[in-house]
Formats: sequence, structure tokens, C-alpha cells
Amino acid sequence: MNAHVTSEAQLLNVRQLEVVYHDVATAVQGVSIEVAQSSIVAMIGPNGAGKSTTLRAISGFLPAEDVKVTDGTILFEGSSLRGLLPHQISRRGVVLVPEREKVFQTLTVQENLDFSLTYKARPRRDEVYAYFPPLAERRTQVTGYLSGGEKQMLAIGMALVCEPKLLLVDELSLGLAPRVTEEIMSILRTINGDLGIAMLVVEQNAAAALRIASFAYVLEGGRVVFKGEPERLLNHQDIREFYLGGSKEKARSYRELRQYARKRRWWG
Amino acid sequence: MELLVSILALGSTYALLAAGIVIIYKASRVVNFAHGELAIVGAYVFHSAAFLTGASLTGQSLLITIAISAAASALFGVIIYAALMRRLLGRPAIVAAMVTIGVALILKAAIVVIWESRSVGIALGRQPVITFESGGRVTWIDVATVVVCIAFFAALALFFQYTRLGRQFRGTAENPLLAAQRKVNINRILAVAWGMAVFSATLAGVLFGSRSILSPQSPIIGLSGLTAAMVGGLDSLRGAVFGGLLVAAATYITARLISPALSEAVPFLILLAVMCWRPWGLFGTVEELNRV
Amino acid sequence: MLSNSPYLRTSYAETNRVFPEPYQRVLVGIIVISLICLPFVGGNYLLHLMNLALLAVIGAVGINLLTGFCGQVSLGHASFLAIGAFTTAILAQRFQMPFFVAIPASCCTGALVGFVVGLPALRFRGIYLAITTLAMHYAIIYVLTAYQSNVGPSATAGITVPAPAIAGFTLEGERAWFYVLLVAATTVVVFGINLSRTYIGRAWVAIRDRDIAAEASGINVTQYKLLAFMISAVLAALAGSLAAYFTSVVTVEEYTLELAIIYLAMIIVGGMGSIAGSILGAFFMTLLPFGIERIFEMLPWRLGTTAFGIQQAAIGIVIIGFLLFEPDGLIEMYRRVATYFERWPFRYRELQSIGGR
Repeated sequence: MNAHVTSEAQLLNVRQLEVVYHDVATAVQGVSIEVAQSSIVAMIGPNGAGKSTTLRAISGFLPAEDVKVTDGTILFEGSSLRGLLPHQISRRGVVLVPEREKVFQTLTVQENLDFSLTYKARPRRDEVYAYFPPLAERRTQVTGYLSGGEKQMLAIGMALVCEPKLLLVDELSLGLAPRVTEEIMSILRTINGDLGIAMLVVEQNAAAALRIASFAYVLEGGRVVFKGEPERLLNHQDIREFYLGGSKEKARSYRELRQYARKRRWWG
Repeated sequence: MELLVSILALGSTYALLAAGIVIIYKASRVVNFAHGELAIVGAYVFHSAAFLTGASLTGQSLLITIAISAAASALFGVIIYAALMRRLLGRPAIVAAMVTIGVALILKAAIVVIWESRSVGIALGRQPVITFESGGRVTWIDVATVVVCIAFFAALALFFQYTRLGRQFRGTAENPLLAAQRKVNINRILAVAWGMAVFSATLAGVLFGSRSILSPQSPIIGLSGLTAAMVGGLDSLRGAVFGGLLVAAATYITARLISPALSEAVPFLILLAVMCWRPWGLFGTVEELNRV
Repeated sequence: MLSNSPYLRTSYAETNRVFPEPYQRVLVGIIVISLICLPFVGGNYLLHLMNLALLAVIGAVGINLLTGFCGQVSLGHASFLAIGAFTTAILAQRFQMPFFVAIPASCCTGALVGFVVGLPALRFRGIYLAITTLAMHYAIIYVLTAYQSNVGPSATAGITVPAPAIAGFTLEGERAWFYVLLVAATTVVVFGINLSRTYIGRAWVAIRDRDIAAEASGINVTQYKLLAFMISAVLAALAGSLAAYFTSVVTVEEYTLELAIIYLAMIIVGGMGSIAGSILGAFFMTLLPFGIERIFEMLPWRLGTTAFGIQQAAIGIVIIGFLLFEPDGLIEMYRRVATYFERWPFRYRELQSIGGR
């Protein structure tokens, strides 16, 4: 699926985004991202590349936080999201699943899902229990005592209950066992297929993300350095070496591994 | 028996004050040092509003006075939030607490300026319900204080546990950003919290003023309410009730049996004792200690 | 060779200077000389105000070291002042001790009380610590009230303190007090600046910013927190002791919670974590009520008690205003202007280490 036919028809259209922390530290510079209707787009890259910051910029900052979007446009369904408060953005259909502090620890699972539940959205909540059976078993349990995987499922469930058109998922694999990550990623793909919700998935686990995405961006140092369909990324030398664990041809010993010395060239 | 009723009535007043502090704390992790002043100012407003409706606190004029005071106090709470506390979101909680100290000073001065430091009383329900042979009596207002307190706490508990807004309160208290990302307008939540808190403060102040004299020195009861809230646990409504009764009982008994001067220090001695043993309060949650 | 540029330092001595730039040294020199010459141009009223302000400076430096540098919020400062005042009063009046015994003894009791009040700081932070210190304030004030009612001629008369005397020379009069307090305040300020630039000051700042990380870095947080409380209490006791001699009578009623809040306001207004800010804040809060009184005298209508109310409210308004709009205090306003001129055309100065600024 070619996500670049007409930029104007994109669900989410971010152009030349620039985000600055504390007036002095530029975290994201000149980043342009597009998400088409009902597609899954991945953002991969190392620590501190600005992936989470981009998601936070799209989903809105609280006025008290010392971070500003200083340049660029963020268009969702044609209208700008810049300057809106987080609750206004989520009411428009852009919902973030944060990296840390993603659920209300002192509330029960049921209360978390019912947090801002409207009468209209009740069927959606029951669908969430269907997608994530472990949650259904622990309805009345206080969330603080859930395992990491269950908390992540609950976080995604809470986001789904808000009836989003675009789901922003921030580093869902952090702290999760690989099998649980696989499970949740495939559930995400199922949800995307069933409900048609577009997703922008930020991941350090590049392999897992590229398995479910239809388009991917690579961020480094606050900039987009590469983009393309997953096949293109999987075959790219630099991506393979730095994000996917080396080339498939031969096993390399540490002596031969000069990852630290080789510059990334981003050819091809 | 009369002792018991006095303690219950005083304890209910303290519990209501503590409830207001707990509401704001549960919603925003801010300790409101101005709560005593808000209560006394509310009582003065009630007293002055009574004059507007004919100075007799009975029947219809009573209802109008109550309505005016309730509306004014809730509105004042919203104004305090919108004008001051909203700008402090994201700053450390101690800064917000210091701002409430500033508000307390301003309100205390307002009592002096607006009401010219007159000591007044609210003549409400002073008729006795039961009279004892020893000369003591239980008045209607004593009964009303306890009943109002029970009703208020019941309503509050149901609100927090079973309503959507109550859930959103609890969620906003824990994680405002996540709440905002889940479609909740945290400004609205916090404004409602402040409105509720100042309303409960006025309620406590009016009940207090009906049983004793109001003067510019009265706001000291705010500290008793604060110690009651801390003893019970800043995030626990159950603790507010228990703390209020405990502090009231200790204060009253000390004043009667030992010395009135010591009874002023008793709430703080209880607080120090509880802080040594269970700093998060008798009914509070341990994690709160690390969140401030 | 000394470098004139604020960007180029050619020796360690230069980087460690308290006042690295020439204009700062000139400014401080002007201030010191004007203060020394002040009694010759000012009247008794002005000198009295300055004396009150200088007393406040001593206490303000104390609370700034505790709350501004070490981050321990304490509402018990008034009780430290009271302890110092009462110890001096008791020793001077009942035991006829001379001032050079009474004042150090007051500082010692201050240290002891500071240690006790500081113990909760080992368990709590933030609001819980503030309220615990508040509780201890009331406990201490209760003890002093009980003492005053039992010992004094009447419950509210307080204890009269004879003027300090040595070898026949008695200290009285605004002008003599001015020089004594100037020396005392200057000593305390220099002490504060030096202390903030040593390993103690740095440990305090580390504890303020992230006490768990400080502990992990090997700083004995217990020791430094208690030291902060003790030093703060010693300075406050010194201020209380001098105030006892200055006003010649000590009553427990003047050591209210409002007083502790006023000292807190001093460092909020002046700038937390800055000794210069303590001085600015102390002068500001001491002169504020008099300034308001002056303004009201100039108004055409009489206001009576309203003036007193406005003075009370002014403290609250000042606290709220500074916390909302200028949380780093007056000293930050000065720094912005100074940075603009010093660093022009650049806008930012490099990250400052603590001390002197």
C-alpha cells in the first residue's frame, strides 16, 4: 500500500515539526510524517531520537510543561492540532497510549476502562474485553497489581474505549517479554483490520514493529533519516546492521563487528 | 451524655473541614492551608446574607440565605481555582501550598477589612432538643451538625466510588496528563473540586458559627481541620471522619479536664504522634508520602 | 593576568571569585559605603527601620540556607526565633548573665532545638515536613506560653531584658545599634556566602534537587539535613537574641505562625537559594508594612483598621504574586538585567555553580 499518493488525503499529516524543551534543547527538527486512513505506520530509531516527543507533540502537551512546538504543522483530518489541549485532541479522535504511567494504578481495571466512558461507547468496552481476555478475568482487581503485559493491554483498551480514529502507541514493548510483545502486536493488527483504526506505532523493537506496519519511518537525532515500506527497510544494509541485529549472511564475531565505527550512510 | 454530644458535634465540624481538604488533595495533591479562613469567611457571608433576607433565620428566609451562601461559596472556589491554582499545574505541590497560605492571609485580612473584626454569632437552631437535669442541653444545631456531616460524607463516598465524575476525580489526582489524554478536561475537574471544597468549608463554618462565636481569630479551627485530615490520611475520607472525631475528643477532654491552653496544642501533639507512627495517616495510602 | 571578559577565565582564582566582574565589586562597595554613612544622613526613624531590616536579614539567611539551599520546607522558623529570644531574656534577666554569655548560649539552645525539629526531615519531604514543623512550632510556643504565664508578672507582660553592657558601656540608641547590627548582619551574610560555596552548600543543593541521588552519590543526607536545620536555627536564635536586646522586652505573642510565613515570604520574594536574595527579601518584607502605611497617609481619606488589614493582605498578595509571576525572586529580576548588559549580544549565561551570585 503506497501511503504517499496524495498528501492531502492523509489522516494525519505532520510537516516540518520542531519541538523544543526548556527553550534550549531541540528534540525534534524538521520531522514530516504521514499516516493514511486505517493504516499502521511505524516509527523506529534509537533512544532519544525524538520518537516519543513527536507522539507527545501530536497528542498535545499540558500548559504547565516546559516544552513547545515551535514550528511545523500537524493536520488531522485537515484541521490543525497545534495549540490544542490534550483533552481536546483526544476528543477529536487522536488518542495516545503513553510509554510510562499508562494506566491509573489506584483504580480497578473496570474503573480504568469506564474512566471516560460515554453511553454510546459501551459496546466498544465489551469488545475490549473480547480482544484482551486477561482483562476480563481481572475486572475488579486494582491495576497497580497487574503484570506489565496486562497493564499494556489495559492501556490499549482504555485508548480504544475513547473511540479513536488514530491510535498513537508509544514503546509498547518496553519491559515486556518478547512473547507478550508478539501477542499484543498481533492483537493490534487484528484491531486495525476489524475496526479500521489507524495506528502510529513507536518502537525500539524494530523487527516487531516492521512485522505489522505498512509503512515505516526511521528517526535519529530528532530527524527522519529514512522512510519506506517494510520490505525496503528489511533489505537495507544500515537498518539491518543497526536495528535488526546484523546481516543474515554470516555470524559475526565481536572482533569483526565494527558497528561502533561505521557511519550510517542511509543509501538506497 | 452531654459530653458525648458536644464531642460528636465538634468532631463533625472538624470532619467536614477535613473533608474539604481531602477533596482538594484527592483531586490535585495540593494541601489547602486556607481552608479555615474559607470556612470562617463563608460563615460571615452567611451571617451577612441573612440580613439581606430579613435577619430572621427561619423558613423561607433561611432557605434563601442557604442558597445564596452555597452558590457564593461554590463560585468562590471555582474563582480561586481559575485565577490562581490553574496557573500552578505542573509546579511542585509545595508551591501551590504556599499560594494557599497567601490566600489564607488575604482572607484573614478581608475579615478585618470587610466585617471590621466584629465578633458575630449565627443564631440558628439554638433551641434545645433535650434538656438535662444538670443544666446541660442538646440543641437543634448540635443534632443538625451531626446529621449534615453524616449526610455529606455519605454523598461524597457514593460520589467518589460510583459516579463517572468521581472516578475522573480519582484518576486526575493520580495522573493529570493521562486523564487529559483520555478526554477529561482537567480544568473542569479541578474547578469542581475547589467549588465542592469551598462549599463544604462554608458548611463547616456556618455550623461552627452557630455553636460558637465568629471572630477574626476563628480561622484557627482550620488548623484543627488540617491536623484531622493528616491524622486520618490526606487521601482518605474515612480518615477525615475518624481524624475529626479523634482530634475533637482529645481537644474537648483536654480543655475540660486538664487546661484550655494545652487543648490548643493537643491537635498538634496528636499529629506529631501519628507522624511518628504512621506518617501517611491512619487510613491513608503509603505511596502518598513519596508523591509530594 | 586578569581577564576582563566574562567568558575567558585565565586562572582558578578568577573562577572562584565571589564577585567576578568589576561592576559587581563597585556595586557592593557603593552599598557598603552608603550603609556606613547612613547614620549621618538619616534620622532615627530611618535607622530604626534599617535595624529591623538588618535583624530580619540574619533570620532570612538562616531560613534560606534551610529552605532555599537544602530544600527542607520549614514553617517552624518563628519558634527558633522565640527560643533565641527567650533564652537570652531568661539568662539576662533572671541570671544576670552578660550578653557575651547569653547570646552564645541562645545559639546553643537554638542548635539543640534545630536538631530536634530537624529529625522529622529524615522521614518526610515537602508538605508533610512543612506540617510537621508547623506542629512542632505550636508545641514549642505552647511551652514558652506556659513559661511566660507562670513566671512573668502577668500572663502577657513578657520578660524585660536589660540592655547589653560591657565595661560600663551600654548599648542603646538607634545609631549604636545600627553599627552593631550592620556588623552582625554582614558577618552572617559572609558566613552564608562562604558556607554555600563549600562542600556543605553543594551537598545541600544536591539534597534539594534529588535527595535519593545525593544519597546514592555518597552524601550523608541525614547529617546534612540535620546540619541545615541546626545552622538555620542557630542563625534564627541569634536574630531572636539580638531582637530581645533591641526591643528590651520579650513576649511569646509576637512569635506567631504569621512571622514564620513572613520569613518564608522573604526568601520567596528575594530569591530562594541566594544569599543576596535573602537580603533583598528581608528588606522588602520589613519595609513593606511601613511603605503601605506611608501610602495610606498620602491618600485623602482615613481608613482606620483597613490599613492594618491591607498590610496583612499585602503579605499574602506579595507571596502569591511572586510565586505566580517571579518564582525566582527579586534577585532573578536583577540577574536578568545584569545578564542582558553583561552578556550582550548573547542572551544566556553559562550554568552557574552555587555561591556568590
